[in-house]
Amino acid sequence: MELLIIPSLFALAALVIPRNFMRYFGLAGGVTSAVVAIVHAVYYAPTTKYVSLFDPNWTSTFGLSYKMGYDGISLIMVVLTNVITLLILLSNFNKELASNKMFTAMVFFMQVALLGVFTSMDGLLFYIFWEITLIPVFLIALWFGAPGRKQALIKFFIYTFVGSLAMLLALMAIKTGICGNLPAASFAVEDLMAVQLSACSACWIFGGFLFAFAVKIPLFPFHTWQPDTYTNSPMAGTMLLSALMLKMALYGMIRWMIPLAPESLESYKLPIIILGTIGVVYAAILAIKQNDIKRTFAFASISHVGLIAAGIVLLNVDSTMGVFVQMINHSLVAVGLFLAVDIIESRTGIRNMSELGGIAKQAPKFAFWFGVVALASISVPLTSGFIGEFLLVRGVYSYNWIIGLVIGSTLVYGAVYTLRAYQLSMYGPSKNFNFPDLTWNEWLVFFILMVLIVILGVYPQLVIDFVQPSVTRLFENIHSSKILVQ
Amino acid sequence: MSVQQLVPLILLFPLIGGIINGIFGKKLPKALVGSLATLASTLSFATALMVFFQLNEPVKIHLFRMIDLEDLRLSASLLADNLSLWMVLIITGIGSLIHLFSMGYMKHDAGYSKFFTYLNLFIFAMLILVLGSNYFMLFFGWEGVGICSYFLIGFHYSDAEKGMLNGIAARKAFIMNRIGDLGLLIGLFLILSQFGTLEYQELANIVTVDKILGTPWMMFGITMCLFIGATGKSAQIPLFTWLPDAMAGPTPVSALIHAATMVTAGIFLVVRSNFFFEHAPMTQEIMLYIGLATSLVAAFIAMRQNDIKKVLAYSTVSQLGLLFVALGMGAYTAAIFHVTTHAFFKALLFLGSGSVIHAMSDEQDIRKMGGLRKKIPLTHLTFLIGTLAITGFPLLSGFFSKDEIVGHAFSHNVVIYGILMFSILLTAIYMFRMYFVVFFGTFRGTHEQEHHVHEGPASMTLPLVILAILSVFGGLLNLPGIWLKGQAHWLSHHLEHNTGGLNLIEAEHADNGITLMLMIIAVAVCLGALVVCYLVYGKKQNVPVEDAELSGWQKISANKLYIDEIYNFLFVRPTEWLSVVGHKFIEIMFLNGIILGFAKGIGASGELVKKWQTGRVNWYILWMVGGIVGLIVYYLVKI
Repeated sequence: MELLIIPSLFALAALVIPRNFMRYFGLAGGVTSAVVAIVHAVYYAPTTKYVSLFDPNWTSTFGLSYKMGYDGISLIMVVLTNVITLLILLSNFNKELASNKMFTAMVFFMQVALLGVFTSMDGLLFYIFWEITLIPVFLIALWFGAPGRKQALIKFFIYTFVGSLAMLLALMAIKTGICGNLPAASFAVEDLMAVQLSACSACWIFGGFLFAFAVKIPLFPFHTWQPDTYTNSPMAGTMLLSALMLKMALYGMIRWMIPLAPESLESYKLPIIILGTIGVVYAAILAIKQNDIKRTFAFASISHVGLIAAGIVLLNVDSTMGVFVQMINHSLVAVGLFLAVDIIESRTGIRNMSELGGIAKQAPKFAFWFGVVALASISVPLTSGFIGEFLLVRGVYSYNWIIGLVIGSTLVYGAVYTLRAYQLSMYGPSKNFNFPDLTWNEWLVFFILMVLIVILGVYPQLVIDFVQPSVTRLFENIHSSKILVQ
Repeated sequence: MSVQQLVPLILLFPLIGGIINGIFGKKLPKALVGSLATLASTLSFATALMVFFQLNEPVKIHLFRMIDLEDLRLSASLLADNLSLWMVLIITGIGSLIHLFSMGYMKHDAGYSKFFTYLNLFIFAMLILVLGSNYFMLFFGWEGVGICSYFLIGFHYSDAEKGMLNGIAARKAFIMNRIGDLGLLIGLFLILSQFGTLEYQELANIVTVDKILGTPWMMFGITMCLFIGATGKSAQIPLFTWLPDAMAGPTPVSALIHAATMVTAGIFLVVRSNFFFEHAPMTQEIMLYIGLATSLVAAFIAMRQNDIKKVLAYSTVSQLGLLFVALGMGAYTAAIFHVTTHAFFKALLFLGSGSVIHAMSDEQDIRKMGGLRKKIPLTHLTFLIGTLAITGFPLLSGFFSKDEIVGHAFSHNVVIYGILMFSILLTAIYMFRMYFVVFFGTFRGTHEQEHHVHEGPASMTLPLVILAILSVFGGLLNLPGIWLKGQAHWLSHHLEHNTGGLNLIEAEHADNGITLMLMIIAVAVCLGALVVCYLVYGKKQNVPVEDAELSGWQKISANKLYIDEIYNFLFVRPTEWLSVVGHKFIEIMFLNGIILGFAKGIGASGELVKKWQTGRVNWYILWMVGGIVGLIVYYLVKI
C-alpha cells in the first residue's frame, strides 16, 4: 500500500513546502517512490500469482470491492510509472516550474492516480482512477501550457471524457446484466470475468471499452485531439500524456477489455489491426512534412502506438511480449524526444524547424544524446525499439502478411521523419542564437534513458521473464473462464 | 587460448576502442586517440590471425540468450568458420590500414576523436555482421553498419556550404538501406515461419541434409527477401543511388565502408545463405540479371563523371554488379575471391584518391588536376597499380579474380559473357581515362594549390604501399588450374565447406584451351583500353569538357541516367504531396471537422432548446396544461 501512500503524502506536503526547497523536495519524492517500486519489483517472483495491496473483503452496496494488487503485468507498469515520473521531475529540475508548489503537487497527484489505475483489481475502481488522471494532467496543461492551449484542452477533455463514459456504461452493463445475462456479484475482476456474455452484449461491452481506449491511445481516426494537446501542453504535460497516460489505455486493453469480453474479440480483431495499421502509415506520412518539431514527434507517437494496439489484439504471448517492450520503449523515447524539443524551444524560443539548425556545432553533447533517442525512436538494433518492433511486426506479419508488410513500412517512414527533424534542427552551420549545452540534470535524464534503452535492446529477456508468466496465466484465465465462441 | 575465448576478443577490441575514444577522446591528445583506434583494429586482426591458424572445424560460441519465447528462440552467439573468419581478416586487415591512413588524413579535422570512435564502432558492427551465428545477429550488424555509415557520410554536417547536403546524402543512404532492411526482415520472418530457427548451421542441416524444403514459392520468397536486403546494402538496382552520394563522407570512410567492407555485406549474405539460393533457381536468375544490369549501368555512368570519388563510387557499384552475376551463377568462391581482391585494389584506389585530394587541398574535380605524376610519385605509382589491378591487367590480382567470374559466365551463357566483357571494357576505359587525366598533362589547378602539392606523411603512404603489394599479389590466393595444378584454387578449397562444394569452372569445362582463350580476350580488352586512353588523354592531353557542352550519350552519362530525378518524381514528391494534402484535407478539414461538427451540433441544439426557456410564466403554464391534456387523452385512448 505504501506504493500509493508515499506519492499521496508528497502531493499533500508539496502544498506547504517552502518555495526554495520545492525542487529538491520533488526530486526526493520521485526518487523515493521509484526506489519503492523497484524494491517491490525485486522481491516479486514472476511466478507468484498475485500480490494483494489492499483487500477489505467487503463489497459496497453498488458492487465496488476496493480490491487492489498487482501481478507481473501491473507491476511493470507501476515501475514504469514511477521511473518516468522521476525522469519528468528531473527534466524540469532547472526550470522555474519545479519550484511551483501546484505543479509539484499535481505531478504527484498524477502519479497516485496512475498507480491506482495500474493496481486496481476492481472495474469500478479502475474507472474512478482512470477519470481522476484527467484532473492533474488537465490542470498542468491549463496552468502552465502554451497560449493557444484552451481550445485544444477543451477538445481533449470532452473527447476523452465521452470515451470514458462509454467505458462506464460497458462496466455497468456487465455488472447489472443485459441481453439476458446474469449480473456479476461485484465489480471485482474475477467476478466480471465470470459473467457469460451473449454475442450481442459482448459486442457492445467490447465496443464501449474500445471507444474509451481508442480515444486515449489514440487510435486512428480518434486521434485529432492529440497533436494540438501535445503541442500546447508544457513539457511535463506532454510527457505525462504520451509516456504514461496512453499506456493506461494499452494496459486497459490487456487487463480489462479483452478479458471481460473475449467473445467478440474475433470480430473486432481485424478492424483494430487495420485501424492501427492505417494510423501507423497515416501519421508517419503526415509527420514527414510538419514544420513544428513538437508536432512531428506528436504524429510519430500516433504512428508508434498504432503498432502496439495491433499487437495487443493478436492475443498471443509472443506479440504481447513485444507489446510490453515497445510500451516501455515508447515511454522512454517519448520522454527523450519531448525533453529534446523542450531544450530546443526553451533555449531558442523556436520550434519551427526551417528556422532552426546548426545546434550540433554549438551543443555537441546535446546532439549526441538527442541522436541516441532518435535512433531508439527509429528502432535501430541494440535499442529497445528494435526488439519491440521486431516482435510486433512479426506478430502482425504471421497474422496477415500483407498487413505485416504495410505496417513494416514504419521502419522506413520512421527513419524519414525522425532523421529529417533531427537534421533540420541540428545540422548545418550555426545560426544566430546562443545555445548552451546540457545542464547536469538534462544530461542525467538522457543518460538514464540510454542505459534503459540499451539494456532492453540487448537483453529484452529481462522484461520477458518478468511479464511472461503473468501474461500466460491471464490468457489461460480468459480461456478457462469463458466458453469461447469458436 | 582456445578459439572459444579468442573469437569474442576479436569483437571486444574495437568496441572498447570505440567506447574509450567516445568518452575520453576529446580530452586525449590526437596522436593517442588515433593510435588507440588503430591498435584496437590491429589487435582484432592479430587475434583473427591466431584463430585462423587454430581453426579446424566450425566453432559456435554461445554468448547469451536474447529472446526466449514460445516459438521464438534467439540467442547472441558467434560462429567462427572459414567464411566468417576470411571476412574478419579482410575487415580488420583493411580496416587497420585505413585507420592508419586516417591518422594522417584527418589530422587537421576538428572531429578527430569522433571520427575514430565511429570507425571503431563500424568495425565492431561489421564484425557482428559476419561473425554472428544466425540471421538475427546478422541483422544487428547489418543495421549497425548502416548507422555508422550514416554518421560517417554526414560527418561534416556543420560545414557552412555543404553541411546540409552532407546530411541529406547520409539520410538518403540510410533510408534506401532501410528499404532493403525491411525486405531482409520479412525474409527473416519467412525463414522463421518455415523452419522455426535462424541459426545458419541448423538451417543448412535442415535444407541440405534432411532435405526439408518449403514450397518452391516459399524458397523463392525467402531468397528474394534476402536479395532485396542485399540490393540495399550492396547498392544494386534499384537501390544503388545512395552509394555515389555517400562520397560526401571523408575519403577513408569511402575506402573502408563504401568500397572494401560494408557494401560487400550483401555478397556475404548470399554466400552465407547459399543453401537457400541453390533451391531457388528463379532468384538466381533475377540476381544474375540485376547484377548484369547494375554492372553495365554503373559503368556507363562512370564514363562521364569528373569527380574522382564519384568515378570510383560508380566503379564500386559496377564491380558489385559483377559479383552478383557470379552469385547468380552459383560461383560463390569466385565471388569471395573477387570480394577479397576488390577490397585490396578499391581500398588502394580510394586511399590513393584521398592522397590526391589531400595533395590538391581538397579539390576533387579531375579537370582541375593534371600532371600529378611527378609531383606525388608514390601516390602515382600505387594508384597506377590499383588502376591496373581493377582493369584486369595481366597477372595482377584483378586479372585472376575477374577471369574466374568471366569463365563462369562463358560456360553459363555466351550472351551474358559478351555483356559482361563490354562492362569490363567500359571499366577499363573510364579508369584509364581518370588515371591519365589526373596524372598526365599539365597542372590545371590554381597557383596556390600547385605550390601546396605534396605527398602525405608516412601514416598515409605506408597503407598505400601495403595495399599496392596486396593488389599485385592477391591473385596468388586462388590461381587458376592451368598453372601449378596442385596449389591452385587455395581459397576455393579453403571455403569449400561453406559454399556447398568447390564450384570451380574447371569442373564445368576442363578445357585449358578455353581458359587460355578467355584470358587472352581479357588481356586484349584491358590493353586496348589502355592504349586508346593513353592516346586520347595521355598523349593528346585532352581534358574532359564541361557538362553543359556534352550531348547525346555523354550527357545522359554525366547526368547519371536521370535516375535521381526519376525517383524523385515517382516516390519522393508523391509522398511529400500526400503528407501536405493529407494534413490539410484529411486531418484538419475532415477528421477534425467531424469533431468540431459534433461540438457545433451540441451547441446548436443548446441554442434550440434555449428558445423554449423564455422565463415567461404564462408560456410555461400553457405547456403544462398542454401536457396534462395530452396525458389524459393518451390514457383515454389506451383504455
